Amino acid sequence: MTHKQILTRRELLKGSAVAAGTLVLTGTPGPLVYAQGSDTIRVGVVGCGGRGSGAAHNCVNSAPGVKIVALADTFADRIAKLKSDFEVPDDRCFVGMDAYKKVMALDDVNFVILATPPGFRPVQLAEAIRQGKHVFMEKPVAVCPAGIKMVVEASELAEQKGLGIVAGTQRRHQHEYVETMKRVLDGAIGEIVSAQCYWNMGGLWCHKRQPNESDVEWQIRNWLYFTWLSGDHICEQHVHNMDVVNWAFGDVAPETVHGIGGRQFRTGEEYGHIFDHFGVEFTYPGDVRTISTCRQIEGTAGNVSERVVGTKGWTNCSGRIYGENAWRYQGPRSDPYVQEHTDLIESIRKGKPLNEGKTIANSTLCAIMGRESAYSRQQFKTTWFTSRCTLDLLPPADLQLSDSKPVPPVAIPGQYELPGWAQQRRGNRG
Amino acid sequence: MASSEKDNGTRKTIAGVAATAAAIGQMAYAQGTGKIKVGLLGCGGRGNGAMRQCLEADPGIEIIALADLFEGKVRGTRDRIMNEEKYAGRIKIDDDHLYWGYDCHEKLAKCEADLLLMATAPAFRPRQMMAAIKAGKHVFTEKPVATDVAGCKEFMAASKLAKDKGLAIVCGTQRRHEFSRIELMKRIHDGAIGELVGGQCYWYGGGIWFRGANDGMSELDWQCENWYHFTWLSGDQICEQHIHNIDVLNWCFDGPPAKFMAVGGRQWRDHNDGQVRTAKEVCRRFTGSEENWEKYNGNILDHVYAEFEYPNGARCLSFSGHSPGTGRNGEKIVGTKGTSDCNHNITGQNAWTYQGENVDGMLREHIDLINSIRSGNVLNEGQRIAESTLTAIGAYIAACTGQVVTWDWLMNESKHSLVPSQADIMAGKPLYYPVPTGRDPLV
Repeated sequence: MTHKQILTRRELLKGSAVAAGTLVLTGTPGPLVYAQGSDTIRVGVVGCGGRGSGAAHNCVNSAPGVKIVALADTFADRIAKLKSDFEVPDDRCFVGMDAYKKVMALDDVNFVILATPPGFRPVQLAEAIRQGKHVFMEKPVAVCPAGIKMVVEASELAEQKGLGIVAGTQRRHQHEYVETMKRVLDGAIGEIVSAQCYWNMGGLWCHKRQPNESDVEWQIRNWLYFTWLSGDHICEQHVHNMDVVNWAFGDVAPETVHGIGGRQFRTGEEYGHIFDHFGVEFTYPGDVRTISTCRQIEGTAGNVSERVVGTKGWTNCSGRIYGENAWRYQGPRSDPYVQEHTDLIESIRKGKPLNEGKTIANSTLCAIMGRESAYSRQQFKTTWFTSRCTLDLLPPADLQLSDSKPVPPVAIPGQYELPGWAQQRRGNRG
Repeated sequence: MASSEKDNGTRKTIAGVAATAAAIGQMAYAQGTGKIKVGLLGCGGRGNGAMRQCLEADPGIEIIALADLFEGKVRGTRDRIMNEEKYAGRIKIDDDHLYWGYDCHEKLAKCEADLLLMATAPAFRPRQMMAAIKAGKHVFTEKPVATDVAGCKEFMAASKLAKDKGLAIVCGTQRRHEFSRIELMKRIHDGAIGELVGGQCYWYGGGIWFRGANDGMSELDWQCENWYHFTWLSGDQICEQHIHNIDVLNWCFDGPPAKFMAVGGRQWRDHNDGQVRTAKEVCRRFTGSEENWEKYNGNILDHVYAEFEYPNGARCLSFSGHSPGTGRNGEKIVGTKGTSDCNHNITGQNAWTYQGENVDGMLREHIDLINSIRSGNVLNEGQRIAESTLTAIGAYIAACTGQVVTWDWLMNESKHSLVPSQADIMAGKPLYYPVPTGRDPLV
């Protein structure tokens, strides 16, 4: 590992690093020294679809001395664009189900972007940390409690190894959110007594099944609509807003979860088996109950926001506080999708790498619990879910692209079995 | 309970008018022991319950008329109540005071009853109420009082007319008559928990009966018999059941929400085996096959998750539905200085627990109604229950359309109307609406 050497060097170069960050914000390319020195961030991109491509460009634009040096994707056609954008040589482009391993095995790669469907994230994060890479990973970071456990373990290992992990919950790096939350955590709105968050929108893209596609290939290409891959839209998108609410509560987990939801409008088979709406109540310590809704139905009213209410006022979490300590953010704004990389790389270079692994694991856990509660219509405790729920949607290690994999049924209350729940019931009766 | 206080103020000013304009009967009750003649509209389980509670509430109550869609229910109800010894001498229902058919409410309104108890399917309540008030009757009505926006407005108009005529309207949201809640709400309105900034209310249950068709029933008859499962008849579960809890939140805020956002759907009812079997039988009976059985399986949702935004900006959760899973029922209100279970406890800076007498709200509502009639200072809960009904309907519309709905829009612009005209009902045509899609047009 070279990152310790990098840190030492960074200490020396600290002054210019700060200057470089400022320059980047104004769009000027950073000094060449980074591109040539051994402290170059040499990035392997795992998952070269829309978000992976976006993250790769965001990453190179975020700081000087960042280079995309290797690519991995399940599909050759997905790699083409980034390969050409960054002139990545053929022998550093890997295709297939195990392509991520090949990128992570490259010694000169010291940083990976994980942007494959979320179902693969826990396994890929674990491998990245094992191989000593810093990680930027898209949200969500798991789709089941078994995956959450892997992410937590990998994050702890990263801490021991001094590796950075930042997640694509970019609000955590958005100035107006950061400044607002600082004040909320300092008590500007008093004690929190209520909160709401929403991701209500229309629809998203859909990949219709092609005649030559196996079950697994079609599902991976159309990953949004299968719980084992996306975690359902509550997990895939709404995790952003839950993450903000968790932030306001000091990143503690809610104590109980009760959700409802369904698949009411978007019922075509091209949309897999996921729901199109959820409503979840989270109860935080002190019996503080929150509202959370998400919806993907074309033509319905949109609302992507958060709101936290305290005994002394309330906030929109993104630059406004109302009440006794009314305040408005008036500082600079930057592109949070770039800023998250800036912050991670700066922290690595300072020798104090950010590690958001457990925080994003907690928010992802909330989304997973909301989904499972809505699928089963059972209210349960977080402690039950994390210790007793045996749900494991992790892809098998030998999963092949050509495999057949039936689409699971849409969750129907009374039919959907929450893994571990029946056992618990029996245990309670005994 | 400021809305009732407001009502009281108004009532004083109209009391004089009432004394001259209202039914002559009222003069008699003023003496405190006079007989009050009661007619029951709707002889199902709830109607039979309400009739007995009314009889328990006051020894001066006499039942003189029964009305229902079905002759069998009217006769069965009379037979049963006549045989209950404790009401001996107080059941005086002549054969010519038994009314049935789709116009039974009109016939009932013409009889000499002083007070009508309304407990049919909610769809017909607005026109029943209008007929009753026009005929000068006091009314106890079950909740909800309408199933569509148009019905809520008609009910509001009837309530206003009742006010002008000095007639009482009390409705079956019995929580408003429980001493513990009354004392609690006084404190909340006096600021015991500070400014109200949040709240929750729940009614999530395991399901409800689904009734098959009997010989001789028309399709419309069957729909009315199985009314819960058709939105135009019941208003859906959020309106029919959850209104109790919604009404409590509205009580806390002393009025309805300003804005509604909701998600909802029907995920379980078409997979509920027992219900599906019955729906298929009904389908076969009326069509000869099981094709399109879903039409006979009703169109109500099984879950609605709604956010009410009250005029002060507080956002509250309304959580309702039916399916296997965890049941919930209750309310919680959150203020800047504390919280309350809306029942008998306040926590926080002004912690308090109700220690007074506990009463049965379902009996107490009748006592309060009858006392108010006897005093000449009548209760009129009509506008308030219409507002709570419209609150449920507003949330339901938000869930069905995926749009944000405001109170002003509901009151001033919505053309939401599901219940057929009385002429169409008399013509006996069944009426089926599709299951809402989650993005229905906003009407």
